Amino acid sequence: MAEWGRTTLELIVGELQQPVRLDASFERRVMVRVRRLHAQRRRRGVASWLGVVSRVTHHPGWAAALAAGIVAIVTLGVMRTRPAPTALAGAPREPVQFVLVRPDARSVAVVGDFNDWGLNDSALVATNHQGVWSVTAPVPAGVHRYAFVVNGKEWVADPSAPRSAGDDFGMPSSALVVEDSTK
Amino acid sequence: MTSRPIRGLMVIALSSAALAGAGAQDPRIGNRLDAPSRVAITALLDSARAQGLPVEPLMEKALQGLAVGADGPRIVAAVRSLSVEMASAHRELGTIATVDEIKAAASAMHAGVPAVELGKMKKQSGLRRSLTLPFTVLADLVSRGVPVEAGVNAIRSLVGAGAKDADLNKFQRNVSVDIEQGAPPAAAAETRAKALPATTKPEEQD
Amino acid sequence: MESSDAALVTRVLHGDVNAYGALVSRYRDRYARYAVHMLGNREDAEEALQDAFTRAYRSLARCEEPERFGAWLFRILLNRCRTSGARRVRRGQTFVHDEGALMKASQEHPAEQTMWREEIERAIGELSADQREAFLLKYVEDLGYDEMAEITGVGVSALKMRVMRACDRLRTLLREVHSG
Repeated sequence: MAEWGRTTLELIVGELQQPVRLDASFERRVMVRVRRLHAQRRRRGVASWLGVVSRVTHHPGWAAALAAGIVAIVTLGVMRTRPAPTALAGAPREPVQFVLVRPDARSVAVVGDFNDWGLNDSALVATNHQGVWSVTAPVPAGVHRYAFVVNGKEWVADPSAPRSAGDDFGMPSSALVVEDSTK
Repeated sequence: MTSRPIRGLMVIALSSAALAGAGAQDPRIGNRLDAPSRVAITALLDSARAQGLPVEPLMEKALQGLAVGADGPRIVAAVRSLSVEMASAHRELGTIATVDEIKAAASAMHAGVPAVELGKMKKQSGLRRSLTLPFTVLADLVSRGVPVEAGVNAIRSLVGAGAKDADLNKFQRNVSVDIEQGAPPAAAAETRAKALPATTKPEEQD
Repeated sequence: MESSDAALVTRVLHGDVNAYGALVSRYRDRYARYAVHMLGNREDAEEALQDAFTRAYRSLARCEEPERFGAWLFRILLNRCRTSGARRVRRGQTFVHDEGALMKASQEHPAEQTMWREEIERAIGELSADQREAFLLKYVEDLGYDEMAEITGVGVSALKMRVMRACDRLRTLLREVHSG
């Protein structure tokens, strides 16, 4: 190498940053070890892991916080108790209330990546209270995109939520960050 | 040497297998997308997987396209664009970034924020703070007309001053209301960023 | 929906051992790269990574920030690599690259590419373990010094010194190779 400079360093780093892939047998080998540990723990009758994790959340009412078409970027009060065994069958979900003020609407539904953008998801059909449409649904912790669909065809971003930057399809959408309250 | 007709048959057979495989990749897409687009989406997902990127956001982008009735090429283009942004975000944010941070960073990049700026923010905050919401708010600011530099400065100063997610939510709501009431976007962001108190010790610069 | 790290950790802690497989799948390749470069060969790297995953599983209840499982696991791997002993380069199986990238490189400049890779491999192996660790974290894993300090438990100024010395050493080594 004739010269050492930024470019050479970048070449070295570029080489070292090449991906390394392990084959599927690696995962199997790890999981064999892990399952053995899991089985040992069960045989010893250790019901929990040092009693550290037994959390479930109960949330205060939402309505007061949502006066004008809001959304819920979730910040939750948390109370910890022992969960039912089935409570963690899937990813932790937090109740999120979606609200849209549209007195002229005949129907309002919520679509988002948390329901595979499914218009036919009855769990996310809002109910009307004098023009204030709302629905509360459990949403997995994480960052999401969503929109309201008014009268089955008009896509509307949530006016009081952050805009989602990726309107690739010419339809507005909003961003939602749901905190994991089990943390 | 394989004769031309036999080679042709092999190509057809391989293509059919690829198309069948693509359709089988994710039942949520199934036959809702034309076959060439399914193949292209599958290739993009495989490529993302090989790079260690999360693939579910790409699938969600495809499903979003299907939901709005977009055609196959447009859906492929959107998925490709997102995969490029996520790869850049992954590279700039480094090993410690979470999947949600990468997703949020990709969104900010889509709004026009350079990946390198997001990387600097991640280096500054390190493991101490998740930048999922800061990146989400930054994407919102820029999409509302706040210049990238002003948006980045506002978010960096807030995060550096120890602002919590609740503070950032309040900041985003205030800026959007100001802009809707006619304030110049940059001025709204700069002014509102000054209003939030420093709640914890400022983060150290590299 | 792809589960967050925190969600998967929670499921594991409640007895869903399969959820740990998702974490292994998520991090194995990302961290294999560090282990391979740190230890110099694939076999030792895989063993270190297996140990790290196993130790992490055993200690999962002590993972204080489940949403940062990846960073916590990385610290375990880093410690495991530190105690792994001397770096052993096993030629022919040291670098396990993306096949597509390899093919592209070999098509462009096959001989130069191989030589260049071997030069880098040898030079990295010549660094002290401390310097190699700091260099890899800084430039390959692309961490800031504050993150490096948090992960390694070493002060920022000491880390900067190690990185600087690693660069100096690499400069010398690669120049020697070139002129030799």
